[in-house]
This record gives sequence, C-alpha cells and structure tokens, in this order.
Amino acid sequence: MTREDVLAVVVKHLASAVDGLDPATVDPMRSLKEYGANSLDIVEVVSGAMRELKVKVPRAELNKLTNIDGLVSLLHDTKSGAGVGA
Amino acid sequence: MVRVTVDDGVTEVRLDDPATGNALSEAMVSAIGSAVTTSAAATDCRVVLLTGAGDTFSSGAPAALLAQLAQGERHPADIRLPRVLLDCPVPVIAAMAGHAVGGGFALGLAADLVCLARESRYGFTFMNMGFTPGMGTTALASHVLTPAVAHELLYSGELRRGDAFAGAGMNIVAARADVVPRARDLARRIAEKPRAALEALKRTLSLPRRQAFEQALTLESLMHQVTLGAPGAADTIRATYVE
Repeated sequence: MTREDVLAVVVKHLASAVDGLDPATVDPMRSLKEYGANSLDIVEVVSGAMRELKVKVPRAELNKLTNIDGLVSLLHDTKSGAGVGA
Repeated sequence: MVRVTVDDGVTEVRLDDPATGNALSEAMVSAIGSAVTTSAAATDCRVVLLTGAGDTFSSGAPAALLAQLAQGERHPADIRLPRVLLDCPVPVIAAMAGHAVGGGFALGLAADLVCLARESRYGFTFMNMGFTPGMGTTALASHVLTPAVAHELLYSGELRRGDAFAGAGMNIVAARADVVPRARDLARRIAEKPRAALEALKRTLSLPRRQAFEQALTLESLMHQVTLGAPGAADTIRATYVE
C-alpha cells in the first residue's frame, strides 16, 4: 500500500466527517482542523482510517501530529512496519 | 463551575468549565447537583434548562476519576448524577449544543427533553476504554434513543454527529448556534404552565426512567466488578482516554 493509498483513506473519512468538503481540494500539508474538523471529528476520522487500514497507533503518537501529511506518514509507516498485507 | 440565571420561571443552569470540556469532576458533579436542587426548590421555578459553555456540553468523567475507579479507590455506583435530573421536581431540558461524551451524554439523556446540535458529536466511549458503561447509561440511552440505536452506540463507542440523530427520539436537532435559543423557546412554553401540574406530570412521565435507572445502576456495578477489576484495566484506560 502506497502513501497515496493511505492519503485517499484519510481523505475519504474526512469527507464523511465534515460538511461540504470536496476531496479533490485537500492539501495534505494542511491540518484536519483547517478543513472544518472539530476535535471529535478528528477522533472519528483517525479511528475510521486505522480500522480500514488495520493498524493501531498509540494515542500519544497521534497527539503530536500537526497536519494530514504527518498522519499519513504515521499510518503508512506503522502499516509497513507491521508487515500486514498491503 | 456552573452559572445559574433565572428568567420568568425558566432557570438556566450552565456548566461553565470550558477548559476541561465541562468534565464531570467531583467539584462539577456537586456544583450541578446543588444548582439544580436549589433552583428547582424555588416555588417560581417551572423548568430547568441545562446548557454548557464552550464547544463541549460535557466530556464526561475526567481521566483522574477513571483512574481512581480502575484502582478501586472509588466505586462507579457512587456517581449518580443523573438522579439529580430525574428527581428534579420540574421538567429539565438538556440543550447540548456542544459535544457530549460518555457520562456527559448520559447526563443529558437523563433530562426530560433533549436537544442536540447537527455538527456536534455524541456517544459513549466506555467500551473504547475497555469497560462497561456506568452512570445508568444502559437504561437512560434506550429511554430516549430507540433501543437499536442506543445499543449500537454503547457497543461501538462511535461518536456520532448530531444530524444523524434526527428522527431518533430527540426533541430538537438544530444548527449549533440555534440549539440554546430553540431550547429556550421550548422552556418558555413549558414555563407558562402551573408548577403543580408540571410537577405531577414530571413525576408520572419520569417514573419508568427512574425505575430503569435504579435497576441499571445495580447491574452496571456488577459489570464493573468484572471489567474495571480486570488486570490491566487502568493501563487500557490511560492508553485510550481521549482528552
């Protein structure tokens, strides 16, 4: 699974969590918050993405993230490292 | 902790500790308890409107309290906050414009009428942290929501957007900014009725909920002996608690 695949999963969950988001316009260098996600939207976006990707990232790691790209890297690295079939 | 304002029969009790998401600390629980009980004792009070300052109506139990529960230093059955609303002699409207999570959502569902915001999120995170629901939630949830929806939320721990609750037993589901004004209109309409009649109707309509609540506390405390007493329960709570 590529980083682009992981990004697509995150963006899909973001689009279902907030109103009126066009997935094509999402810039990974920006934060989930900038796209209108509130703190609990973010909890649901991240847990939904983790469930779909079959990875688990400790909450402490998630709290350090500042943008979508960081989340994608963390999820992608965890998935690659865990060796779960892509 | 809480701010009380009175306007023509409507007493608004506003949870006012937004820095903690109006978490149900010991101080908050006792502040809510005394504010509701004292306000409702005034003979000119005909309805209580419960609101929360900030983005979150209530985030439920703070991490420190959950840790105490898992260490056996406190017992979940001691936390009977919903009873304050159930026993309140006049009707209570919970206007949850902000998010409500766990015990915070249970508190709102103990009200007689329940209002949510479309863009806020509501749910029960107990099971996400590895233990069974408390505060009478197993009963309160299915008295407002349909049992199917209540059970799904209790099992899954999903934090669901308010707009998804439209048609699921809520009195008002509106845009966040409109929730409190609309709940206030509803409160004013109820406050036109005589106190004695409101008291009688409240006592009658809340009876099944009060009975279910007491029964739920008993069963929930049996479940807690198993789930909070399990090895590693405190570690799981610490790793999964959402600030």
